[in-house]
Amino acid sequence: MKELRIGVYVCHCGTNIAAMVDVEKLAKELSEVKNVIVARDYKYMCSDPGQDLIIKDIQEHKLNRIVVAACSPRMHEVTFRKALEKAGLNPYYLEMANIREQCSWVHTNRNEATIKAKDLILAAIKRVKWHEPLDKRSVPINEATLIIGGGISGISAALELANAGKKVYLVEKSNKLGGIMNQIDLTFPFLNSARQILDRKLSEVVNHPNIEIFLNTEIGEIFGYIGNFETQINGNKIVFGNIIVATGLKPFDASRIPEYGYGKLPDVITSLEFENMLKSGDIKTKSGKQPQSIAIIHCVGSRNEKYNVYCSRVCCLTALKYINQINSVLPETSIFDIYADMRTFGKYCEEFYSSTSRKNVTFLVFDQKNELPKIREASSSDKCNLIINFREKLSGEIIEVPADMVILMVGMEAHEAAKEVAHKVGVSMCGNNFYIERHPKLDPVATTTDGVYVVGTCQAPKDIPDSISQAKAAAARILATIEAKTVDVEVTTAFINEDLCCGCQTCIKVCPYSAISFDAVKKVSIVNEVLCKGCGTCAAACPTGAAKAKHFTDVQILSQIEGLFSYA
Amino acid sequence: MENKVNEKIFKPKIVGFLCNWCSYTGADLAGTSRMKYDESIRVVRVMCSGRVDPTFVLKAFKEGADGVLICGCHPRDCHYHEGNYKCLRRYHLLKKYIIQMGIEPDRLRLEWISASEGAEFAKLVNEFTQKIAELGPSKVKQNIETFS
Repeated sequence: MKELRIGVYVCHCGTNIAAMVDVEKLAKELSEVKNVIVARDYKYMCSDPGQDLIIKDIQEHKLNRIVVAACSPRMHEVTFRKALEKAGLNPYYLEMANIREQCSWVHTNRNEATIKAKDLILAAIKRVKWHEPLDKRSVPINEATLIIGGGISGISAALELANAGKKVYLVEKSNKLGGIMNQIDLTFPFLNSARQILDRKLSEVVNHPNIEIFLNTEIGEIFGYIGNFETQINGNKIVFGNIIVATGLKPFDASRIPEYGYGKLPDVITSLEFENMLKSGDIKTKSGKQPQSIAIIHCVGSRNEKYNVYCSRVCCLTALKYINQINSVLPETSIFDIYADMRTFGKYCEEFYSSTSRKNVTFLVFDQKNELPKIREASSSDKCNLIINFREKLSGEIIEVPADMVILMVGMEAHEAAKEVAHKVGVSMCGNNFYIERHPKLDPVATTTDGVYVVGTCQAPKDIPDSISQAKAAAARILATIEAKTVDVEVTTAFINEDLCCGCQTCIKVCPYSAISFDAVKKVSIVNEVLCKGCGTCAAACPTGAAKAKHFTDVQILSQIEGLFSYA
Repeated sequence: MENKVNEKIFKPKIVGFLCNWCSYTGADLAGTSRMKYDESIRVVRVMCSGRVDPTFVLKAFKEGADGVLICGCHPRDCHYHEGNYKCLRRYHLLKKYIIQMGIEPDRLRLEWISASEGAEFAKLVNEFTQKIAELGPSKVKQNIETFS
């Protein structure tokens, strides 16, 4: 082995790390570790000057291994790998020690946190010694895109790509395109017809020569990686370079809230059921009468510890839309809008709220956290169908509101198919089954799986313009990768050392991707790098050590463990 | 207490093997949410809990770990479909094996932590640290040194 020349870089991350870890002391102590040529601390390693520092050191001191102790590798490993590459070093000669997310941010004792940080860095130093240069693998990109979900998000992305001349496979589980927008009458804040907006898009999609639509179709197992995915649809193999997941939402099931009596009281309906009435122009109670009073309850299943803690973002404005619509169709009907907090962010939305509030409507506030309103059937003397009983928050008094009809503003949940699709495309989900984006602020469109994008309400509750923005952003990202013609793919796959392989085929049995086959002539296992996703299960199972998980080899991990105990 | 005034308080050292997709992300989330937990744990990242070779666990004990924690994705949530099940099978065998080596079985623990379970991870580390503190320092390293 060539002489080891290691550079160690300890990041302050402003005060994020430096406040809890003595970074200066660490840099000084680490400079005395064997094979460490330089050890420095710096305010922000990920900044341009920080990276330049590494690059300059690599060139000046002929460093051949780099350890960066900073944030999680999930955050900046790619950044620093690029810096190594810029300096002419193989990017895989980098190892990161996570001293922020898993050290400075979670500990309270500076001395102990510094000791722990040192252990983590020493482990990284031991590990990086065994790093091997891995060659980037550039593969050509298949220009087609698979879009899962034919709602407004999926359709918008499809048109963007198809209009740029790229092939799109649009897969929809149900028997028609349009998704939840099919059920919506008018849109807020301009009260345009959803149908008209959607129909125009749909006719474009249906007639587009570049878009192939598969209705009543569920996606099967997907193989491959960015640039070269493949799957079977109705028995035919299709290949594509990128995937857009647009599986959409599921309305909250209002019957889960016992106080509201949904499902038992016939005139308690959900917002989507009311949309249907608006579309048919027939606002009637179950007994066929015109309602004298309508109550609207906000935050149904949203912003409540018992159901979903998040805000569904569209319900407040949809309720305001109903007030406008009821007012124009049934001007004599009294409207009670029972809300928790009125959230009307967005362009022209606050204006919409203020114009709506001047209409014939009574706004009442309920205590969403502590006491949900209770709906009961009215008695025959009440002259209405339902009574809503609750403590009105502003007055502090318990009041009863009469209503012939109650509209529950149901929130959004992730589609029930979300989990299954997540497995097939390899994206993660957060606690409430929405997909996790690559970065909550800097990259809210991509996922941690290259070539897979999430758009629309499957990522988080959002309205139509936000869904379309995200969809078009994903399409633009894909067009940019297609424009580049090739893409670098993960090279940390498995590898079989044929000299060590005894032909027991254990690896073949444990491989979840059927990526290993048996060469009957040589009597050894062979890895298909296209199919291998680098989980390393084969390496853990191999009895002879022939199966190797690149960049997570036995010697690398064992040395890392050793390093954890090399100090004190 | 009275006769051991000078004895250092035992600070357990725990090695955690965390899968990249769920548990490591969950541990990162505990950080971004500024949750607090004991400094005892040092994490080794693996792509999948299925990559956790029994040798890694034994190596950790040999080097002086007082406890070893393995975390993977919840059943049916494995990024690689079924690596966590492979890990689970090995874990049960490994438990039996370490008993034969004279290591208390409670020093090894496997838990499922998802990418959103930062709070659960923090709680787990504290609980496990407490358990290990009760067990006291592992004697493996000392025994190896004595008998070799």
